[in-house]
Amino acid sequence: MIDVQDLTKQYAGRVAVDRLTFQVDPGQIVGFLGPNGAGKSTTMRILSGYMPPTSGRARVNGHDVFHESLRVRESIGYMPETAPLYTDMRVKEYLRFRAELKGLSGRALGQRLGEVMDLCMISDVRRRLIGHLSKGYRQRVALADALLHKPPLLILDEPTNGLDPVQIRQVREILQNLKPAHTILLSTHILQEVEAVCDRVLMIHQGRILAHDTPDKLTRQLRAATLVQLELKGGGANLLTQLEALPNVRKATLDGEDAGWKRISLRVEARQDVREAVMNLASSERWQLREIHRQMPTLEDVFVELVASDRTR
Amino acid sequence: MRLLWILLKKELRAFFVSPVAYVVLALVMVLSGYSFRAALSILERGPSEGSIVQWMFQPNWFWLSYFFVFPLLTMRLFAEEKKMGTFETLFTTPVRTWQVVLSKYLAAVLVYSVLWMPSWLNFKIVDWITAGQVIVPPGSLTGSYLILLAMGCFNLAIGCFASSLTSNQIIAAVISFTFSLLHFLGGLFIMVLGRKVSETFVDIINYFASMEHIRTFTSGLIDTRPLVYYSSLALLFLALTHQVVEFRRWKP
Repeated sequence: MIDVQDLTKQYAGRVAVDRLTFQVDPGQIVGFLGPNGAGKSTTMRILSGYMPPTSGRARVNGHDVFHESLRVRESIGYMPETAPLYTDMRVKEYLRFRAELKGLSGRALGQRLGEVMDLCMISDVRRRLIGHLSKGYRQRVALADALLHKPPLLILDEPTNGLDPVQIRQVREILQNLKPAHTILLSTHILQEVEAVCDRVLMIHQGRILAHDTPDKLTRQLRAATLVQLELKGGGANLLTQLEALPNVRKATLDGEDAGWKRISLRVEARQDVREAVMNLASSERWQLREIHRQMPTLEDVFVELVASDRTR
Repeated sequence: MRLLWILLKKELRAFFVSPVAYVVLALVMVLSGYSFRAALSILERGPSEGSIVQWMFQPNWFWLSYFFVFPLLTMRLFAEEKKMGTFETLFTTPVRTWQVVLSKYLAAVLVYSVLWMPSWLNFKIVDWITAGQVIVPPGSLTGSYLILLAMGCFNLAIGCFASSLTSNQIIAAVISFTFSLLHFLGGLFIMVLGRKVSETFVDIINYFASMEHIRTFTSGLIDTRPLVYYSSLALLFLALTHQVVEFRRWKP
């Protein structure tokens, strides 16, 4: 659906996007992840046909974004970061105008307007002036606009920016419901969002790709230590040294004690599971164990690690 | 064509839901109403040379204040979209740049044409009330409104161009006002010099002197040279506007 080769964009000498190469298959939700100023918006603008790349090429749905710009624009729904809208228009009026621009007409248009407004939960404000709407509503009007012509590819630049937690959850549901028919590229710097909705993650930093994989694989590849937490009763003064003696345990620390129950966390070598060994030790030492839990590394850990290693490089 | 019509409808709507069109309409009505009253009072003084149409359109102050209309009509067109970022959503739908430029320009021309309807009615009403006793020469009338339209097309194109250059409406207004006025004053400057300069020079100046065109057209002479002059300049400025808007795509 998206095929990007050596894409570079420079602004007045500053490199915003640096030789980006990646592909996105149809039907995927891809999370575009990176700190502010990493080049996410720039890449999305190029893909939407709004700006040309300095060098390299990008194809959307088989069409070149620069030379076949009109064809590309027919097959995408783009929602810019700030969700710009005509503030002097009413919601339904605006969406009607946008739908006409995108080639809808007649009964199909009216029906689609209703569908999209219901889907984005903006039917109750259809007669309000856009300028009088709250940020959350505007954001959803912009999303509704992007969905109007059922584009095969949706490019959404921070779609949940400025929404409250309930609205964020609603938008995620909308996106997940779109999944089989639409390919979605969405940018964000909220990592939980990517974990919640995305099939694949594309991490960029300073215009370069750091990683492009599924969220699961990324967290599994993490080199940093993982954490195992336990709560147990019993054991003497050498409890911690006994635990540290287990293979692959780097360090054991006592976090606290509550009515005889000790809370202990173990730092474990990456990609190693020590839970079974801990269980065996506990039963042979006759400790009472009431909790054992392996904390999976989050994308946030992956991201921080990748950015840090990119800086030192 | 369909897209052009959709865009044009939206632009016209924007004029009439905001106070802009009404404010400008009021301004033009006051201006033309006052000028019309002045023309009538010349009639009251007894017989004189010329027609009511000429007296209405020839005072200099009328034309100087007339140039306030263009910045008011055009400053918003591109500058506002740039400022609000709506260019980004507009140009990621399958519209071509020329369709956007032309729709905005045509909307401004249409609104501008509407502005002069009331003053045209003034002449019709005088004709009707006096039962044809005050002669309103039809040739003069057609000529006057033709030159108004031609000059309007030209100045509105300048306004569009100015608006496309910046995202600040005030700057757009100042650029378009300055340019329109300079062009007008450039033509007046022959009046200051008098006949001290050579005939060829006078001819060259008269070619673009708006005041000279107004004199010709209000007396009922329809000269094609000014019409060609204004329309080709309007086309030039529209082409420039197109290039400025399109520049985003070619910027390295």
